[in-house]
Amino acid sequence: MLKENLEFESLTYETLGNTKERKEHFFKFVESGFPSKKLEDWKFSDLKSIINKNIKELKFGFNTIENKSYNLKFIKNFEHSKIVILNGEFLSADILDIDKNKIEIKNENLIFSESLNEPLNNLNKAFASKLIKLNVLEGKIVEKPLVIYHICDLDSETNLINTRFELTLHKNSSLSTLNLFEDKSVSGFNNHNFNIVINKNSNLKNYIFDLNKNQNLRYSFTNIDIYENGNSENFIYSSGSKFSKYEINSNLKEKYSSAFINGIINLDKNNHHEIKTNINHLGENTKSYQLIKSVLNDKSTGVYQGKIFVNDQAQKTDGYQLSKALLLNENTEFNGKPELEIYADDVKCSHGSTSGNLDENSIFYLMSRGLNYDQAKKLLIDGFINDVIEKITNIEIQKYLKEVIN
Amino acid sequence: MLEINNLEAGIDNKEILKGLCLKINPGEVHAIMGPNGSGKSTLSNILSGKKGYEIKGDVKFENSNLLDLEIEERAHKGIFLAFQYPLEIPGVNTNNFLKTSLNAVKKAKGEKELDAIEFLKLVKEKSAQLKFDQNILSRQLNVGFSGGEKKKNEILQMSILNPKLSILDETDSGLDIDALKIVSDGVNSLRNTNNSFLIITHYQRLLNYIKPDFVHVLKDGKIIKTGNFELALELEKQGYESL
Repeated sequence: MLKENLEFESLTYETLGNTKERKEHFFKFVESGFPSKKLEDWKFSDLKSIINKNIKELKFGFNTIENKSYNLKFIKNFEHSKIVILNGEFLSADILDIDKNKIEIKNENLIFSESLNEPLNNLNKAFASKLIKLNVLEGKIVEKPLVIYHICDLDSETNLINTRFELTLHKNSSLSTLNLFEDKSVSGFNNHNFNIVINKNSNLKNYIFDLNKNQNLRYSFTNIDIYENGNSENFIYSSGSKFSKYEINSNLKEKYSSAFINGIINLDKNNHHEIKTNINHLGENTKSYQLIKSVLNDKSTGVYQGKIFVNDQAQKTDGYQLSKALLLNENTEFNGKPELEIYADDVKCSHGSTSGNLDENSIFYLMSRGLNYDQAKKLLIDGFINDVIEKITNIEIQKYLKEVIN
Repeated sequence: MLEINNLEAGIDNKEILKGLCLKINPGEVHAIMGPNGSGKSTLSNILSGKKGYEIKGDVKFENSNLLDLEIEERAHKGIFLAFQYPLEIPGVNTNNFLKTSLNAVKKAKGEKELDAIEFLKLVKEKSAQLKFDQNILSRQLNVGFSGGEKKKNEILQMSILNPKLSILDETDSGLDIDALKIVSDGVNSLRNTNNSFLIITHYQRLLNYIKPDFVHVLKDGKIIKTGNFELALELEKQGYESL
């Protein structure tokens, strides 16, 4: 798949620049290839073989959205500002009047630093054309949610999308954002890189919905740095794509910062999704909370790897993690790997993990009230995931999710 | 209404019911008493359709062969089982569940389903009739309910679904005297000439509140004695061993 004689130069658009650096990242990527299960972090999701199986030939290259327009159905359920990203590139933004002058959007050239260690980050840096940069200005409370529509509409040119995104909340600001994945094409690989900074006293609600059935393979890496008294609320609804690995690195850098990561993996067919979290408690009195529930149908596979790290400075840390999986038949698989690594002595950390089938006695109870098997099953599954959905504190978005999944 | 002939049932090669016969007419209240392990709960499970039993015999409910019907079809035809241990269903709102349940039954009967407003009106009316507090309805189904609240919820479900035959499986277990009285009053207020009750219990206590027309003693998988309320009093004094 990775041809030695691949001529990177011939792929490069003059206007992108940084050819030397991009080339370096690309060759580094070619050296390592896609991560396989030999790597500890990838042992439950062997991306190399998943890509080989699902994509005949990965076409490395840049996307162009010139002369492309996109007829998109925007969400009608609630009022919101919009950013549209088409095939990894910034297409348009429409910020509501009420929130104008609070948000700044830029489309900048990539910054190339030295690090060449992460294969997928190398791939991303080689091909992401721009860095989409979003700033919420100091002291600004953004009132309405910002929905980022990630549209994947590939043609024959390439089946690889690399998106690079940076979001900064300056001091005393707040924002609710919904990343919505909308995929029209078949079997591409989406490689997203999000870098988020939440400064002092700021609050970001970051929701990620992968709802609609599609054949895409997706990897998302999000790094979040949270400073004093800052709060990061994340919710992932992981369902539509053929393969998805959503990785969040959350650094609680200063005192009283907090991170919430809640998620639902809801799969059928032979789809395979993973949520991987890494929470680093680095300051005193920091708090993290994670609740992940998986519902697995057909021959699907769910994975949750969650790590809580507490360094020796992070006294009074409060860390919590719970994973529950519902395996609806014997061909499904769930892998959970909870990890605690603690170097401070005055902390409160706990984790739990359960997996099981639908309770037959509960089914009997509901059916004895006149519900048929499918209704009873649906009610139990809805009930199972309902408490995770109710963790979404933006009520409009919570309501929207409930509506679309019913 | 219900006619059981020579019912045999077992589970995992263990015989539990060994030729049980019982006939219940509309408007009648029957009580089945018996020691532990006599097959009381097996009988209520089989009547409501729980899977996993090997069954022989014949059970007629009105004009249909009950054993051929699925669990939910039995509910549609008017059989209701008040559980000894109602299950906790996390994440499911009691009100929504009740509405789904009632509309499933109505749909099967070819009746018009109720909308949210009509349903709330019905629930309000039934709660008032049973003198139950409505607040349990906004909570998750049976989750964190006290023993008394769970049983009240069962009776409320019963009143809303308005079944022809209600089976009360040890409804008195885990209830204090006050709760027992409230639950019994609820059941009594639902009695009429068209619907019937089958009350399964260890103790005569419940029958002081819900007066049965017939009392049957179930022992070793068979009904060994049938009488009226006096039989229950006699059993209370002398125990099952004397029979």
